[in-house]
Amino acid sequence: MLTQQASLLLSLVMLTATVLTYAGLYLARQGIFPTTFDWTNVVNHSLPLALAAVGQGIVVLTRGLDLSIGGMVDLTNGLAATRLTGDPRLDGLWILLILLVGAAGGLVNGLLVARARLQPILVTIATLAIYQGLALWVLPTPGGQVPGGLTTVLANPDAPTGLVWVAAVAAAWFAFRRTRVGAGIVALGNDPEAAHASGLPVLRLTVIAYVASGFFAAAAGLFLAATTTAGDAVAGNVFVLTSIAAVVLGGISFFGGRGSLLGAVAGAFTLTLVVNVLFFAGIDPLYQSFYQGLFLIAAVLLGNAAGRLARRAR
Amino acid sequence: MTEPSPATADAVEGRRIRRAFGGVQALADASFVAARGEIHALVGENGAGKSTMIKVLSGTLRPDAGTVRVMGIQAPSATPGWARAHGVGTVFQELTVLPWLSVAENLLLLDPPTGPTGLVRRRELVPRATEVLAEYGMESVDPRELVANLSLAQRQVVEIVRTLRRDPDVLFLDEPTAALAEREVAWLHALVRAARDRGRCVVFTSHRWREVEALADRITVFRNGCEVTTRDRLTEAEAVRLMTGRTIDRLYPAVPSAVPSGSRGSRTGGTAPPPAAPAPALEVRDLVAPGVHGVSLLLRPGEILGIGGLSGQGQRELFQALFGALRTVSGQVLRDGVPVRIRRPADAIGHGIALVPEDRKTEGLLLPMSVRDNLTLSILGRIARFGMVAPTRERTAVDGMIGRLAIGTDRPGAQPVGTLSGGNQQKVLLGRWLLTRADVLLLYDVTRGVDVGTKHDIYRLIVELAAEGKALLLCSSETEEVAHLSHRVLVLRRGRVVADLSGGPVDPEAIVAASLRGDDA
Amino acid sequence: MTEVRPVVEVPTPPRPSRRGDRSGAKVLIAFGVAAAIIVVGQLRNPGFGSWDGIRAILVIASFTGFVVAGQTLVVLVGGIDLSVPWTLNAAAILLTTTAAGHQSRVLYAVVAALGAGLAIGLVNGIGTAYLGVPAVVMTLGVNGVMEGLTLGLSQGMTCRSCSAYAPDAVRTAVNGQVLGVPGDLLLWLGVIALTTVALSRSTFGRRVYAVGNNPWAAYLAGIGVRRLTVVLYMLSGLFAALAGIALVGYSGQPTLGMGDPFLFQSIAAIVIGGVSVLGGRGNPLGPVAGCVTLVALLSLLRAESMPEWGRNVLYGALILAILLLYGRERRPD
Repeated sequence: MLTQQASLLLSLVMLTATVLTYAGLYLARQGIFPTTFDWTNVVNHSLPLALAAVGQGIVVLTRGLDLSIGGMVDLTNGLAATRLTGDPRLDGLWILLILLVGAAGGLVNGLLVARARLQPILVTIATLAIYQGLALWVLPTPGGQVPGGLTTVLANPDAPTGLVWVAAVAAAWFAFRRTRVGAGIVALGNDPEAAHASGLPVLRLTVIAYVASGFFAAAAGLFLAATTTAGDAVAGNVFVLTSIAAVVLGGISFFGGRGSLLGAVAGAFTLTLVVNVLFFAGIDPLYQSFYQGLFLIAAVLLGNAAGRLARRAR
Repeated sequence: MTEPSPATADAVEGRRIRRAFGGVQALADASFVAARGEIHALVGENGAGKSTMIKVLSGTLRPDAGTVRVMGIQAPSATPGWARAHGVGTVFQELTVLPWLSVAENLLLLDPPTGPTGLVRRRELVPRATEVLAEYGMESVDPRELVANLSLAQRQVVEIVRTLRRDPDVLFLDEPTAALAEREVAWLHALVRAARDRGRCVVFTSHRWREVEALADRITVFRNGCEVTTRDRLTEAEAVRLMTGRTIDRLYPAVPSAVPSGSRGSRTGGTAPPPAAPAPALEVRDLVAPGVHGVSLLLRPGEILGIGGLSGQGQRELFQALFGALRTVSGQVLRDGVPVRIRRPADAIGHGIALVPEDRKTEGLLLPMSVRDNLTLSILGRIARFGMVAPTRERTAVDGMIGRLAIGTDRPGAQPVGTLSGGNQQKVLLGRWLLTRADVLLLYDVTRGVDVGTKHDIYRLIVELAAEGKALLLCSSETEEVAHLSHRVLVLRRGRVVADLSGGPVDPEAIVAASLRGDDA
Repeated sequence: MTEVRPVVEVPTPPRPSRRGDRSGAKVLIAFGVAAAIIVVGQLRNPGFGSWDGIRAILVIASFTGFVVAGQTLVVLVGGIDLSVPWTLNAAAILLTTTAAGHQSRVLYAVVAALGAGLAIGLVNGIGTAYLGVPAVVMTLGVNGVMEGLTLGLSQGMTCRSCSAYAPDAVRTAVNGQVLGVPGDLLLWLGVIALTTVALSRSTFGRRVYAVGNNPWAAYLAGIGVRRLTVVLYMLSGLFAALAGIALVGYSGQPTLGMGDPFLFQSIAAIVIGGVSVLGGRGNPLGPVAGCVTLVALLSLLRAESMPEWGRNVLYGALILAILLLYGRERRPD
């Protein structure tokens, strides 16, 4: 079972290394270690991506892909910025509704992939456009107002309470992995035909995976709104590719059936931290993408090499 | 949908089943009955419909027409779920074990140990799985191991244990021992008999007559998508006649006892010096590769050299290494006396070596591509001009090979090779390699899953090719084949040659004896 | 690694379709849809379907078309090229900055731009075929690398030669007309002819389809799978660069982010054209129709003064409709 945990281990090692590099560079530049404020910032900025990565990770575990995550983040971000007023009871309802919107979007994806048997990359490219369109309809120009309450709860600027949310996700994954659905989703990604022949309810599991993805994308949109305190109908687009990158860094295999969602979270944090690392290393911000791209490829190569070593060691 | 289940002895019954794939009618009003407490064999040529029938009966495939009853209850448009819930278990050639889960997770996939919260207790997976494996006498399998790291035989064992655990009332097995080694075959046979003795029904298909004879209480012969007869006793000859509609009195063609040793004649006219003894077509010196620990052999033109031994002793690795599909660590390979370096299949082909691999569907043919495209895939250079395919040149080559091998297709340029029967598919694969004009042919289990009629054609072809001067290396899961077709047989054990059986016709018993002898390191 | 396997994982071999390859039918459908959209456009906005109107649509479609030519090749072997946006952009900027207004340097500049495309493709191919990096990740990473390099080296398009226009020769070649047909369209026609003939009649084409169907079997048949994969990615890079050159010849100056829309458009066009994203089958003419369909639809929607949000929704809905129309991907019975 070592190989199963190896990828998660590797992503955690990468995260630790990045954290240490960040702290070290910060120290070199500022003379002190990063403050609580800095760590809080890191956590708050990583959370939206972490949630989006969790959603993407669930789908990738089933050997699928969800490109519409970006559009859903756009949409829910816009909804949060325009519909939340500050009244806790009303807002609570709206938040629930927004999460439902995410789940509904995921349901559409799931049904098209599972029942209509269309390729995930193609379905989600189409729904991406649709959700992006809806986002523009809800919020044609950047703006809106996010009530302070939301920010305090989700993305508290004073303390890294965001880590509580990370712990919640971790606990949820721990439990999920041990449910029939969770185990089934991982099994499904191994080999959909074999899973079907083994008696697993493939249709239901696939739909659940995409619904979960939509739900987490919606959550990501909410967290994004809380962090940026305003809405922007295109702010979520970047999540399409960054969520994939986070999943990759998290050691979840694109061929399905292998990996831990905690890895996706770690990958998201690593990606966000890399930006900070680059900043403190004095790298020209224009070259940021260059290093991010290189980092992504290097991470995969490292993972491959580690896997090969592990196999040879047996 | 459910009728009161009459107290019937019939465990499973299919009545007037029809099923077509594309334009091919796989089952034409076929019927089949198997009783409780019996082991029932379904035999027939490839394309006769037995695999399809088994799939319909077990709920894996939906029939176009006809009814299926399991334990007296009529199956609604059957789905695997319904069948499973009504006591049907299946072990097919397409394994359903999940590669990236551990053996334990696979075994306990549908009934994992759960705690009071309803969540799976992952810590108990391995102990519970160990118990299960011990119960079935398969302690050698490590429950913590990922299935992907197991050998094909071990994976099949896991699949079998997983299915048998639920003690299905009706068990369907499709070529269950194809991938298993002798010990595991005996194990499975014992399990099957035990199930029968408990009153279960077992239906299986097999191309191995020995197995059918040994296990079956009753035998049903299928031909052309329909049942022909059901008997308690059947000789092989009778069965062959019923399956093919013709009499094959001698299964194996006569192999000339001596290798034609004629030299290839002098190339220059006039007073040429006496031709030297021809160099061996293939010489291997101390080949070392994963699974091959120092193999040397000599193969002469016109010779059929058999490679025998228990399965998994390095035969597959030897063939792949010789073809460049497996990286060799050390050793030399010589073609016609000249050392060559073979690092990839393209190199081997360039040196006139061809490999007909183990699994034609996943390693050989490109199923959606046409017969024509599959045939000419390895000779694209020869049928092209300036990189563009020359249609007439291609057609000549294709038609010629179709004719020579009697491949059953009338539209080679359009018909996807995946729609051909297994026997014809194997012929297409052979045709591809014959077109490369290779002088050394490595035939690995070339008659696996091939019906009796085509087997006979392939045997004849092998002897013909040897007579033409080609050198053949032959390996087969059936010792009889290796024995009857080869001039000589090398027996492998643990990647080494442990016996060289030559001088006259080879006795299959001798091969088996050599395979088992000496359990030394 | 003990076995010398091509690094692409081999899924269970696809079941052959019942009635042979339906690619031909899909191509016809795709062209039919394109024609239908143009007809509707003409009815709603007279002039839409005129020669001028169609020509405008075709010219805009040609840029996607160049990208699609390369993307199709890569998709046919089961890969994908997500580095198209910044390969295109980099090539465009390389063209103008290398020429830097000196008309005599045009050949040098074109070679540099195309060469950049080939080089990027080479990197993609090596990473995918030889180093075992999944195509999605490799090309995504390379896209980021090219974005960073382009932004950094041009300092955000503020460098000295960054305000240069595309060389005159290129502009004339793209915009100039021969018998009323813009040079750009002639170029596209040439690309289409080349790829179609190559895929359907050459040994190269046979090998591509073989690898797309089953890389391991193709390898055992003697095909250099990894080498072929690298070549295909290089061609994809080349065509993306070509698109960049054509685009900048058309508009005069490169901008940052000019390549971004082309990624999803190219994938959408391939889908509409009936090429399977799993590899191994599809007719390259289909995606050509897909390009025209997409651009025609966008033009139609713009002509209808549909707000951007509506265009997005309809665009996505159209793709879903076409997907459902073409029927399902394989599934066991």
